[in-house]
Amino acid sequence: MTAVSHTGMSHHPALRSDNITFAPGAGGGVSMGMMGLGLVLIIATLGIGFTSAGHMPLAHALAAVHVGVMSVAAISIGAMFFLMVFHLTGAGWTATLRRQFENVAAFLPFAWIGMAVLLGIELAKGGVQFAWLNTEHMQNPVLIAKSGFYYWPGKMQPGALPLFFILRTLIYGAFWTFLVTRLRSLSLQQDQTGDRALTAKAKFMCAWALPLFALSIAFCAFDYLMSLDYSFFSTMWGVYYFAGAAFSGSAVVTLVLARLVKAGKVQGAVTSEHFHDMGKLMFSFTVFWAYISFCQYFLYWYANIPEETAFYVHRSGPGWKALGVFLMIGHFGLPFVYLVSRVIKKNVNLISLACVWFIIVHVADIFWIVRPMTYAAEGNDPGLSGIWLDLLGIGGMLLVFGGFLVKKVSSGVLVAVNDPYIEEGLEHRNYV
Amino acid sequence: MANSRGGRVYVTEGGEKIYGIMAEFATPADLYHAAEKVRDAGYKEWDTYTPFPIHGMEDAMGVQRTKLPVAVFAAAMTGAGLAMLMQWWMSSVDYKLVTQGKPYFSWQAFVPITFELGVLFSAFTALLGMIALNKLPMWYHPLTKKERFLASSDDKFFVAIEAKDSKFDPERTRELLQKAGATSIELVEE
Repeated sequence: MTAVSHTGMSHHPALRSDNITFAPGAGGGVSMGMMGLGLVLIIATLGIGFTSAGHMPLAHALAAVHVGVMSVAAISIGAMFFLMVFHLTGAGWTATLRRQFENVAAFLPFAWIGMAVLLGIELAKGGVQFAWLNTEHMQNPVLIAKSGFYYWPGKMQPGALPLFFILRTLIYGAFWTFLVTRLRSLSLQQDQTGDRALTAKAKFMCAWALPLFALSIAFCAFDYLMSLDYSFFSTMWGVYYFAGAAFSGSAVVTLVLARLVKAGKVQGAVTSEHFHDMGKLMFSFTVFWAYISFCQYFLYWYANIPEETAFYVHRSGPGWKALGVFLMIGHFGLPFVYLVSRVIKKNVNLISLACVWFIIVHVADIFWIVRPMTYAAEGNDPGLSGIWLDLLGIGGMLLVFGGFLVKKVSSGVLVAVNDPYIEEGLEHRNYV
Repeated sequence: MANSRGGRVYVTEGGEKIYGIMAEFATPADLYHAAEKVRDAGYKEWDTYTPFPIHGMEDAMGVQRTKLPVAVFAAAMTGAGLAMLMQWWMSSVDYKLVTQGKPYFSWQAFVPITFELGVLFSAFTALLGMIALNKLPMWYHPLTKKERFLASSDDKFFVAIEAKDSKFDPERTRELLQKAGATSIELVEE
């Protein structure tokens, strides 16, 4: 039993202890198994890359892990974004859901560790995926013009450390870790004390932190995705990554909530009305993603400037074009038609199905961003061949993330019981 | 005398047609429970009037969900389809013009207008459909003749059951509203 102080609404039948906590140790084995297997898969992927077993280049193995890391990072970023917006807007209906947003966001520092490890490998290997680290590219006039973005205050030369890039990465890590731990600890503290002032503190923090968080997401997307092709640039890149993040983040949180409901927990605290609204959020962000990704494509298609269209040229080769069409249908068309219906949004089983699909298409989206660059320089793009290695790396990262979530969710109180808005959350209904 | 619904037309002693019966309630809760009783008694042609929206009233009244979204979706698809068709016809059939060296039928260039016309059609359908379903514009409403009814925009809550309802009966309808806790009941002329 977890100690929960009984103040305010804690006597509500939906907030009785067995409804909002798991038995001690529940899910521990599953969690350890998933994380262990995930780490083994990631290490195997990197091992295959480093030893060139199966004739797979290191770049391919690194890209596989890169896709996994950036996908789960986006999911946690999305959950974190919603968490902050809910605090800022005083979104009472989310009071019973908020703990799961905190749990999904809690992976963000670990996703950052993944980025840091990848950066470490790139530095040690002198630029495998990060062509701008590679001495072969340092005579490229475009890279010379952009070198300040990576090497400031130093100069770009063989062996030089990209200080500005490393500094930015450190800032993301420190800032994200601070945000996640602070918001979570305020929330968990409130479970114990019922102090309403903690909500005000969280709100104040979100007010100044949200714009900075937005900048950190955009620059992280520039650094770890857009820079894979240093000659490419898109001012919509940050918001493109964010759109996918908000979409997949809400999908994962909804899936967690659905699993809890199916496990007989949070009965009466998370209802079909909440799923209805989570469905609306996902619906809006699948449309937003389509809007942003089409706009980016549209502007480059219209202007037809070589260094801009190169991005889409790389993605029109064998396999990649089909994947692009798959994304148009799978990431926008199907979700749009499916989520239009209220009946589906309110049904736990049907919306769970959608969430699983959304996670798949989100990973496919990041894959479409990262992987076409792997063989781009060779001029002989093998397309989707060797995808087993990608599945290995991505699967490993998703397993680690999943195991972490199982642990986080099953070991704490499932609902922020002393949230000042908890009554609004419990009574939430869509009056239309 | 039979009207189109197979019911009867009621008139006052003065010969005026009767619109229905209006009942006043003191609190939202009273009105809410009265609405449940009217709903369960099987009335269809009736409404509640309140100074502010009361959450859950649609359930208490047994109001079915509007079909408007279906019409809006159909209109959006029609608008989008027509827009694409129009641009295809203009640029690749009626007046072929090479623009920026791109194909005549460049669907990418047509997406914004397709999107906009989808939005335009659905917005018009939503607005006009809402107006039509609410029977607007309504220049005159019989209830507004009653002095007491003015309080419906202040601090009182009303139910009005129309005489055209097939279940309407001057005595039994009045009795039902009385039992539901009405503080005053009035007959309303057309």
